[in-house]
Amino acid sequence: MAGLKDGDDYRDGERFKIPALLQLLCLGVGGGGTLLFLILSFSMSEKTGAMGYSWLFAVIFFLSLAVGGLFWTMLHHATNSGWGTVVRRLMENLASLIPFMLILGLPLLISGFGFRDKLWEWFPKREVALHHAEEAAKKEAPEYITARKAEVAKAVAAVEAAKKELADVASPSPGHRVHLERKIEELQKKADKFAKEDLSEDGAIATLTDKHFQHDEALLFKKRGFLNESFWWIRQIFYFVVLAGIAFLLRGWSLKQDRDGDPKWFRWMRRWSCGLLLFFATAWTFLVFDWLMGLDYSWFSTMWGVYLFAGAALNSMGFLVILLTLLRRAGYLKNVVTMEHYHLMGKLMHAFVIFWAYIAFSQFFLIWYANITEETKFFLTRNTGFWNTYTIAFLVIGHFFVPFVALLLRAVKKIPHILSGIAAWNLLMHAFDLYWIIIPERGPSLTAHLGKEGIAMVIPGAWVFDLLAFVSVGGLFGFFLLRQLASASLFPCRDPRLDESLNVVN
Amino acid sequence: MSNSSSSSNELFGYVAEFSSATDLYHAAEKVRDAGFRRWDVHTPYPVHGMDHAMGLGKSWLSALVLCGGVTGSMTALALQFFTQVSLYPTVVQDKPTNLFTIPAFFPVTFELTILFSAFATLIGLFALIMLPRWNHPLFNSPLFSKFSNDGFLLVIEARDPKFKREKTKELLSEIGAGKIEEVTY
Repeated sequence: MAGLKDGDDYRDGERFKIPALLQLLCLGVGGGGTLLFLILSFSMSEKTGAMGYSWLFAVIFFLSLAVGGLFWTMLHHATNSGWGTVVRRLMENLASLIPFMLILGLPLLISGFGFRDKLWEWFPKREVALHHAEEAAKKEAPEYITARKAEVAKAVAAVEAAKKELADVASPSPGHRVHLERKIEELQKKADKFAKEDLSEDGAIATLTDKHFQHDEALLFKKRGFLNESFWWIRQIFYFVVLAGIAFLLRGWSLKQDRDGDPKWFRWMRRWSCGLLLFFATAWTFLVFDWLMGLDYSWFSTMWGVYLFAGAALNSMGFLVILLTLLRRAGYLKNVVTMEHYHLMGKLMHAFVIFWAYIAFSQFFLIWYANITEETKFFLTRNTGFWNTYTIAFLVIGHFFVPFVALLLRAVKKIPHILSGIAAWNLLMHAFDLYWIIIPERGPSLTAHLGKEGIAMVIPGAWVFDLLAFVSVGGLFGFFLLRQLASASLFPCRDPRLDESLNVVN
Repeated sequence: MSNSSSSSNELFGYVAEFSSATDLYHAAEKVRDAGFRRWDVHTPYPVHGMDHAMGLGKSWLSALVLCGGVTGSMTALALQFFTQVSLYPTVVQDKPTNLFTIPAFFPVTFELTILFSAFATLIGLFALIMLPRWNHPLFNSPLFSKFSNDGFLLVIEARDPKFKREKTKELLSEIGAGKIEEVTY
């Protein structure tokens, strides 16, 4: 049995020894599953599109847990709180999984895997529209240049004519002169404007391409500043750098403090967290805009970022509770974590159950009430037939009412097993929540080209891939988590706030 | 002063002063173990874990608040359903007038839940701590006024069934009380 006993020195921390069998199992399931998934997606090309949605679902679920871990770490520092120092290392370990999860998401982003264009239709649509526009532009360009040049010549001629008219009048009255001068000025302005247009071949093609693009795909044209491939890649790199970078930085400083006990690191973490929270929020918000809201480029919701954030924060706290209970069961952290910590974590879970419901309802409520066609699309898909039952059962009752009522009781939050049970329930509901966001998009998107008769709400049999992807990514998530847990002490053993956290009472 | 020394008035209880929060904490544990019921501690600031040392159970306030909240949400739902759905079905923007109108009623339901919970908290708290009242016998004690400055005080009331005039005083000095004062009505 590992773990601190009475009389042991807290300053040496507590090391986690990976259960070899569990690690092997995680690696086997995760690695094998991922390999199988990729092989299947390459060999069954007609299923690749459907499998992209499965992989996105799995990656975003585990990524959201890791991102939530980063949020709790940063919030802990930014609010200068002392209660959670003993569980902070677990949050940091969770956050340090962000780069692994983002790398697992890479197949979605690279078009060679065949997922990207099926997930985010704006890529192929934009490409096709641009291609057509360019073709048409090339065809029309010579004619257009001639026509425009004639217009320019006409405008210049008009100026000349007006000037001549002024010169021809022998002695104009002051009023007449002003009138003519004004006319010349106006015509000159018009001619200058015409002359500004780039009438070289490339210039004309660019102008005409825009015109055709706007005509064919007005929405994509309007959003071209955001929805274009180069800016899209810049954003993906930004997400990786910000999310993985912050996690790396904060965990690194925390580990340094473990070694030298210098309170300088503690102050650095606290100071930097406040400013970095801004970048964190921006990165996560836009990541879910790109990855999830982008599944239907014509739909938008400004509450999207905070909605996904609420789910991530809630379930990452739930995951921490479960992880803590499992570790304690294996004999770790027994003398460090008390029921007071469980109580506090349970209270945070409760708060975020309410916060999630508040955000989710507000998003639905505003769209439902305003009833504007371009916004209702999202909920129309999900309020019809099977998905309607699903929404009420899993999101309204399962995600909100059940944990809300259960967590109202104080005693429940102080019993690790019951609290872990509620946390597990929440994680299941979180999976259903993300499934509900991603999967209803799959049927209509993949069958849209079949027309009114062929369109299907669900792709039959595709749920097998959802399950496979979830288990595979989950296996790898567990494997990396075990390694991160074992790489350092299980709690920040020389943090100045450790004493406060050990003796916390609430 | 005259109050505490006069024996003509009925005894309210003892006020005992302790030198620190820690001493008071341990004293409270002993008084709890001695089986007293009607007693209290007074400190200049909240002492963590004192409720445990005093053996206090969970307050009933949260149950009252729950009742308040449930009453609030039921009131709001009933009010809206009766007026907008049953008595005078009001169609707004082609929204249904049946059970599925419920999202439209949520903001009011939410607000009334909060409002009634807040009322229940305030009124329930006052009822449980028996406020407001005009005066309290403890204000007769000069020692008691130290509770808001630097005094860590323990008060045992005479109406406690275990209270014995001499024995309780002995107990208090045994568990480390410095000054002990008799408070009368």
